Amino acid sequence: MKKRLYLELENCIGCRSCLAACTQCGGHEERNRNYVYDVNPLVNRQTMPLMCLHCVNPACARSCPAQAIQIHETGAVLSALVEKCIGCQNCTIACPYGIPKFDTEQNLMYKCDLCIDRTKDGIPPMCASVCPSNTLQWLTDEEIEAKQKQFNLDNGKWVTSMPYLEGETNVRVNLPGILQGVTKLF
Amino acid sequence: MQRDKFFKEIENVRHPNETLVKTHCSYCGMQCGMNLRVNTKTNKIIGVEPRYDWPVTVGKMCPKGVTAYQQTNLDDRILKPLIRDDASLKGTKEGFREATWDEAYDLIVKNFQQLQRDYGKDSLSVYSGVSMTNEKCYLTGKFARVGLQTRYIDYNGRFCMASAAGGFMRSFGVDRGSTLPWTDLHETDCLFIAGSNTAECHPTSMFRVWAVQERGGYLIVADPRETPIARRADVHLDLRPGTDLALANGILNLLIQNGHVDKEFVNNHTNGFEETKELVKEFTPEYTSELTGVAPEKIIRAAEIYGKAPNAIVMFARGIEQQVKGVDNVSGYTNMALVTGKIGRPKAGVATFTGQGNGQGGREHGQKADALPGYRKIANPEHVKAVAKVWGIEPEEMPKEGVSAYEMFGLMEQKVIRGLYLLCSNPAVSAPNLNYVREQLKNLDFMVCSDFYLSESAEFADVILPTTTWSEDEGTVTNLEGRCIKINKAQEPLGESKPDWQIHVELCERLGRGKYFSHLKTAKDVGDEFRLASKGGYADYYGITWDKIEKQDGVFWPCKDENDPGTPHMFLDKKFYHPDGKAKICALPYRPPAEEPDEQYPLRLTTGRVVYHYLSGNQTRRINFLRDMCPEPYVEVHPETAEKYNIKHEEFVRLYTRRGEAEYKVKITEAIRKDTVFVPYHFGDDKSINLLTIGALDPMSRMPEFKACAAQIEKLELKKVQ
Repeated sequence: MKKRLYLELENCIGCRSCLAACTQCGGHEERNRNYVYDVNPLVNRQTMPLMCLHCVNPACARSCPAQAIQIHETGAVLSALVEKCIGCQNCTIACPYGIPKFDTEQNLMYKCDLCIDRTKDGIPPMCASVCPSNTLQWLTDEEIEAKQKQFNLDNGKWVTSMPYLEGETNVRVNLPGILQGVTKLF
Repeated sequence: MQRDKFFKEIENVRHPNETLVKTHCSYCGMQCGMNLRVNTKTNKIIGVEPRYDWPVTVGKMCPKGVTAYQQTNLDDRILKPLIRDDASLKGTKEGFREATWDEAYDLIVKNFQQLQRDYGKDSLSVYSGVSMTNEKCYLTGKFARVGLQTRYIDYNGRFCMASAAGGFMRSFGVDRGSTLPWTDLHETDCLFIAGSNTAECHPTSMFRVWAVQERGGYLIVADPRETPIARRADVHLDLRPGTDLALANGILNLLIQNGHVDKEFVNNHTNGFEETKELVKEFTPEYTSELTGVAPEKIIRAAEIYGKAPNAIVMFARGIEQQVKGVDNVSGYTNMALVTGKIGRPKAGVATFTGQGNGQGGREHGQKADALPGYRKIANPEHVKAVAKVWGIEPEEMPKEGVSAYEMFGLMEQKVIRGLYLLCSNPAVSAPNLNYVREQLKNLDFMVCSDFYLSESAEFADVILPTTTWSEDEGTVTNLEGRCIKINKAQEPLGESKPDWQIHVELCERLGRGKYFSHLKTAKDVGDEFRLASKGGYADYYGITWDKIEKQDGVFWPCKDENDPGTPHMFLDKKFYHPDGKAKICALPYRPPAEEPDEQYPLRLTTGRVVYHYLSGNQTRRINFLRDMCPEPYVEVHPETAEKYNIKHEEFVRLYTRRGEAEYKVKITEAIRKDTVFVPYHFGDDKSINLLTIGALDPMSRMPEFKACAAQIEKLELKKVQ
């Protein structure tokens, strides 16, 4: 059954285990490919991961003059092919989320490939495998639908369960605020 | 064999020329399951793969866990014994030369025997730790008492779990860190968590904590800081450091006033209710608020939620335990569960977040100054007789009780203790009042340190013995649930390093005590003897075989024999371990911290951890990823306080107390009380916050008050570029 990366931003505790784990995936050359941000560090401890959302029509790939960014049959937007990447950095500018990173020494772009050597066999990516807070989860579409129903909240302030942020993405996101829709047990 | 809603059947990735070794993390009490990836050509550990089939953590790991494997083959490893001939270089990294094991052993034997001839058996001491297997912890106790024949052995659990142990012993008559398995956490209706920065110190508990709220349950957090877990709490009790007992009494008073007492449970299964009820009467929300600084409405709301919750779990950690009333704090919060009867059934109970990997097992089996294997007491002649029999000595030969870890430094000052064998610990960073402690280490006549890196404490040693990391030996560990699990060997010891149990055996043979040790040829031999030594004690491990651990995904103690599956839930029969079978509700008068702020030192200093480092940082500060994420300590200051001192974000200040001072970069944050500053304690040399902390001890647990002392800040106008 097809599974997707699903993000529940409210859960993030800022441990950056996802970044440490990213270095552990076979094809990642021990470099992490995503980000965790302190949202408002002088005020509180809220943090959020910024992961590649694996767009269905990815701006990074569209902007690439050398067709170095391939899309895997699973929908994963792969890291630049070493033999094709010309180091122009178009992709780093084109991506609305600022995901692709650039290695100036190798003159090569690199980005999250959703741990393709794991996810192609249905094994969760390293980040979602280790995430201690369940901010990053690896779920079926049915499980995600249930989550979105549970957290579908639009109270004029928050929309926690959005279909997509910009264009359609393979990764699904729930913005902070999920707890506002929960009915308390007592 | 628990399979809960988080458990999923997932295959592991297997790379060519690699094998996976199932084991657990080297660090905290969570003991997350992990697979170490071992290259089958080089036989070296090269990475980590999640262990999805471990029921407690289902593949999850924090950043320390993910990078733990890097410790084993790090360039910093000590590969051969090191000797330093020039004692004037003590306290520095200088002057060590490589030596053979024989030369190192000979030098140790010569000096130890000389000291004992001149000053008596008790002139030697052993200072140990619990980030190692039960087998090693057990043998360290025997090494001190039978091998060296000294009374002076204690361990770093005095800075970690001793108050929880003391509180549980008093309340329940038994000290198992959690009365229920962690797989119950997400199914309870209310978590009351005091003094635990869970998201940073035990991160893999967090998916279960958040699941309680997702179900509509409640999270109540008591902490002077708005930690990542407090940020999402339904009620955050933002108390002054060192005032927990007032808060516990205040909530207990409300639980009683509001009719949440389980009368049947209290009458039949506890003692001390009436007396306690009288004592806490005084702790009205207003008075409690005055003492703790928490708004009365929050205290009332917290008591209402905990009282109404069908099931609730009270949890706590070092925040409440590292105080001069740590034991009282533990019993105080435990009172909440006893008065409301929310204990002795699934999804309800009390738990402490054990700090060190084997903080539970390590304190049960005889490294504590007053304890023998199986949680027996040296003061009890029957207990001594039982252990002496297993050890093959006469009961009269058993050394008497010693003193606690911090008090050993006092005996070093008095020259009662002249020699030290240090293992698995780094007191030159982790002990309080470090100027004093480092001075005592320097003045020792002879010191041996067993470690795999040159720790700040090893810098004081005359001989350093290279020991193995956790991945180069096997044995059992008892995690924070009380579940005994198996650590497996993934790689042969690097260089000439040896596991500590083997070092103890070889050293004892050279000290002429071989007949008590020579039969121990493998970790399993030690394990079998340890099971026997624990048999009949409170913490009975006799039935915990390595096979059973494998078959059952770990075994909860007590487990008395081969057919006993162990005890995941404590007190299901409502029988507690005091002689009358009842638990004790404790009447605990409030007392303030040992040192209160005054005009000269107006701020409260509290210390703690960050998610990237473990204990003294001796391991984690060497791992690139972790060091990059948190390379140095800092002081957290509230913006209003900072303004008073005219300090801006990332400026440098001198922070000082009556005992010492250090310079830190300022981190401005609203997530801390205005009267409190916080510094993480993982750093060495002149960056150690423990240069400033106080050596005041809990009268029962002998735990220092790391969590509260009085301090002052001074802005540094000119700071050299770092």
